[in-house]
Amino acid sequence: MSQINCAACQDSLFLFIDNEIEDSAVFNQIAFHLQDCAPCRNQLEIERKALQLVRELLTRSCCETAPSTLQERIAHQLYELQLQELSGYIQTEIITQYRRTEITIDGETQIEIETSHEIRRDFPF
Amino acid sequence: MESMPTEISTPDSSSAGELVRVDRDKETAAERTKRFERDALQYMNQLYAAALRYTKNPEDAQDLVQDTYAKAYTSFHQFEPGTNLKAWLYRVLTTTFINTYRKDQRRPQTSDSELEDWQIAEASSHTSDQGKSTEDVVLENLPDSDIKKALAEIPEEFRMVVYLADVEGFSYKEIAEIVGVPTGTVMSRLHRGRKQLREKLSDYARERGYVKGGAK
Repeated sequence: MSQINCAACQDSLFLFIDNEIEDSAVFNQIAFHLQDCAPCRNQLEIERKALQLVRELLTRSCCETAPSTLQERIAHQLYELQLQELSGYIQTEIITQYRRTEITIDGETQIEIETSHEIRRDFPF
Repeated sequence: MESMPTEISTPDSSSAGELVRVDRDKETAAERTKRFERDALQYMNQLYAAALRYTKNPEDAQDLVQDTYAKAYTSFHQFEPGTNLKAWLYRVLTTTFINTYRKDQRRPQTSDSELEDWQIAEASSHTSDQGKSTEDVVLENLPDSDIKKALAEIPEEFRMVVYLADVEGFSYKEIAEIVGVPTGTVMSRLHRGRKQLREKLSDYARERGYVKGGAK
């Protein structure tokens, strides 16, 4: 395996700490160098601790809770969006119309027209 | 409306154990709404905290989170169940912010050439900065307000990736998909952003006298 020098190791330290070195050959080069090089190992620990500290500070201070008004707004909005979705649903309108003609024996004509009208909605609920 | 992301390729490790197979073709709208409420709404606090970092004020942050949920809801059928929902929501949040809020504010954006200039400036000042490394200051006792202020002061592109990586713990690849830039760009923004943030925090600590061996 080819060796890397301290400068190359230092350049890749933050990727190494972030566990973002995908090339296993490169990863091994750095790991082997760190094994043999106390100053680089020391630098790794300093960088790692510094990053860890900043992460803790950020996580500690950036943890606001969504105000209840926002939660209500979002709940209301979801309800509205559902309604919109509902009204956009395919409505099936069924009109049944038929005519029945009845003629009585004495020639008197009686006509009846019957109509039924219904709307079917596919409710998503 | 701009097209919404359909999937984030990284599997969601947090819910991998309780993966429920969802057949989106057979799912009714009501079932999808329920699934949205169950799975997506739990990230509201996190999205709000991120929105505060993006917009820097509570009113815009609330609007941004509300818009994010509206867009996420209407395009939820496009979300690939079993992939990383949190990353998907962050992508909707970030896209919405970039397309709407940032446009409204007409805030001048750091162009790539400006980044280069900045990089050059940083490189030239590097030698003089050596003396004031972070090792002489104590950051632990900094009040939350200083930390938020320091983060707010670094350029937006850097702030986003630092937040996504160091608070939310997203990988470079996930951040690349959330922000819509190549992984290499994420790497360099993160590297510079962290450096700037650390310098600002050190400055605040020094101003407060939080120096190693010093008072307090």
